[in-house]
Amino acid sequence: MLSSSSVSEEVRVNLEKVVFGFFVLLAATLNFGFFIGDIDRPELHNRYELFAAVVVNLIATVLKFGDRTQIGAVHLATSLVASLQLVAAALMYGYAAYVSTAGMTPGWTASVVSVAGGALLANLVSVVLLVIETVSFHRG
Amino acid sequence: MGNPLLTFWNRRDRREEEEERRARRARLLAAAASANRASETVFLILRRMRAPLIVLIAIFSVSVLGLTLIPGQDAEGRPWDMGFFDAIYVMSYTATTIGFGEIPYPFTYNQRMWVTISIYLTVVGWAYAIGSLLGLLQDRAFRSALALQQFTRRVARLAEPFVLVAGYGRAGELLGHSMDALGRRVVVLDKDSERIDGLDLESYHGDVPGLAADARDPGHLGVAGLDHPCCEAVVALTDDDEANLAVVMTTALLRPDLPVIARATTRVMAERMGVFGSPSVVNPFDLFGDHVQLALRAPASYQLLTWLESGPGAPLPPRGAPPASGRWIVCGYGRLGRELTADLRAEGIDVTVIDPSPHDDVDDVVVAGGFEPGVLEAVALEDAVGFVAGTDNDITNLSLVKAARRANPRLFLTARQNRPSSAPLFAAMELDALLVPTEEIAHEVYAQLSTPLLWRFLRAMPALGDAWAADVVDRLTALCGQHLQALWKVRLTEREAPALTSWLASGEGRLGDLLRNPEDRDEPLHAVPLLLLRGDDATLAPGPDVTLAPGDELLLAGWPAARRALDVTLLVDAVLEYVVTGRRVPSSWLWRKLGRPAPDPEETAPRPPARTPS
Repeated sequence: MLSSSSVSEEVRVNLEKVVFGFFVLLAATLNFGFFIGDIDRPELHNRYELFAAVVVNLIATVLKFGDRTQIGAVHLATSLVASLQLVAAALMYGYAAYVSTAGMTPGWTASVVSVAGGALLANLVSVVLLVIETVSFHRG
Repeated sequence: MGNPLLTFWNRRDRREEEEERRARRARLLAAAASANRASETVFLILRRMRAPLIVLIAIFSVSVLGLTLIPGQDAEGRPWDMGFFDAIYVMSYTATTIGFGEIPYPFTYNQRMWVTISIYLTVVGWAYAIGSLLGLLQDRAFRSALALQQFTRRVARLAEPFVLVAGYGRAGELLGHSMDALGRRVVVLDKDSERIDGLDLESYHGDVPGLAADARDPGHLGVAGLDHPCCEAVVALTDDDEANLAVVMTTALLRPDLPVIARATTRVMAERMGVFGSPSVVNPFDLFGDHVQLALRAPASYQLLTWLESGPGAPLPPRGAPPASGRWIVCGYGRLGRELTADLRAEGIDVTVIDPSPHDDVDDVVVAGGFEPGVLEAVALEDAVGFVAGTDNDITNLSLVKAARRANPRLFLTARQNRPSSAPLFAAMELDALLVPTEEIAHEVYAQLSTPLLWRFLRAMPALGDAWAADVVDRLTALCGQHLQALWKVRLTEREAPALTSWLASGEGRLGDLLRNPEDRDEPLHAVPLLLLRGDDATLAPGPDVTLAPGDELLLAGWPAARRALDVTLLVDAVLEYVVTGRRVPSSWLWRKLGRPAPDPEETAPRPPARTPS
């Protein structure tokens, strides 16, 4: 009896929560993937990874729209910070690659990666919030 | 003899309890109101735009990624990969249908195939996003949320006293306009959104916030300013008695300090309302019965009452003389017929009732609609003196009145008008008395709200008799003509009449001295004092010899110019001196200093200082 009830609990997974958790976590992992590596070596930081991080972060931000709870508001704030920083990093990357005559120098690379590192911090806060929300939901 | 300390504590406890109760009421009201405010529009937009935005981002990113991955070639045919910047640039102008062409190098067929697919994808994405946004703007729920938000902001911004009117029917409209003419603010609540939309088209001087919502919901009343500190009164004028009861209830429970005026069409409902504090209940049919009674007893009192109740600018109503002896015929024994029959019989008048359904609680009933052939002859219309067409159908009333007039042209004809659109027909009929329930209500509520002094005057006035009222009407018409001018209140306090302080303290200040023209004191001011209130004592139409005391309140009727002149007299010492004594005193400090040792003889010579000129 007990096991069957717990099984039915697990079966009632909210698809919206899955999608939400997936995008929040994917945003953090992609961001981390781009950030990891020596800070001034351009060949260690893949531009496709930065592009994916920007897109996934934007989607995660839109997913957090319209939630009027307190924790929902903090979620939205962290996502906005992460998206802004990643877009800034992408703009800097674009400037270095297309406008600047020197190309991706170690200095530019370090700047881009450090801004992306700031976004990573915001994304980590987002993940922590997600974990807190999940844990408190099970307690309640 | 109780312990004084104990009494002190008890009183303290009671006060604390009272404060606690008040705080609890405020909390309840705020909670009810916030349930309505919560649906903020921004969240609504964001929530609905989630899916379209995600679709747009996904399509855009897939198209851009595709362009960067597909191999291209430059102008010389060398292999060249498009970077992210170029890809975003190309997709941006392609997706928004601007189309700058193939930049920076002409595309390969491979790239063109991908761009073709992207164009269709992105156009679908944009169409979906824009369509959702426009759909949202058209959405009923969204629009009402937006209207609610706007209304809440307008009410919260009100910084002057306002009256909350629940129910904006014909009566609410009349009341709103006469309050507006007095320079008072109104907030309106009505279930019918067309009435609220119509607010914008009406010519109000002040801004009148209106919300289409059910007044039965305490939350809606809260949003409309029930919890606003500037709310001075609540008026329930919906055509549904139960909704009015709900408004009375809500106000009595959540803001017991506010006065409530409610419309009720039955005695039972009036009693149910009376359970909640002491609301002022207005029953149009009861009121009309009372008015007919007054008109029978004292036509001039009735004339004065209706004139003053109609507000500034109203023409003098004709002084009807309903026949006080003889038989009356009342058609329709509904709410109006019942009240009117009882009132007429209380005056000792014979009444014959005509009604389609039999009634046991009244004698002398003819069961008929009234328009059947032979019925009017059967009730012996030739020897009746009064006829009342009081059904709730305008067409029936008009035809009844016409038939009655044909049978007996000398009849005193009275009819009830139910719909405002029938007004021209009733006017063309030239009746002796007309009941328009909505106007009756609007006038009564206006009299209660405009100034407490007017309300007091109207209640005390009938007791003084017909001749007295005729005299007041004559004085008013001699002064203002056939149209009522301004009605205003003056409070003889240090604050509002600083020039009068020492004159009043002398104990010899007579009203007649004050009401003189500041330009030429031989001319009286064009204003009639209607009421003098001292403490709780009211003197109606005080004469010129009445002595004034500090703190008196005066209700005056007269020209707006007289009001301005009187204001000057109350504020400027030199003007008061001239008006009271006839001496011209310099009003500036310097001239007063120079003039005091030797007063100008020429100024005072022609008019010797007479304290009480005739």
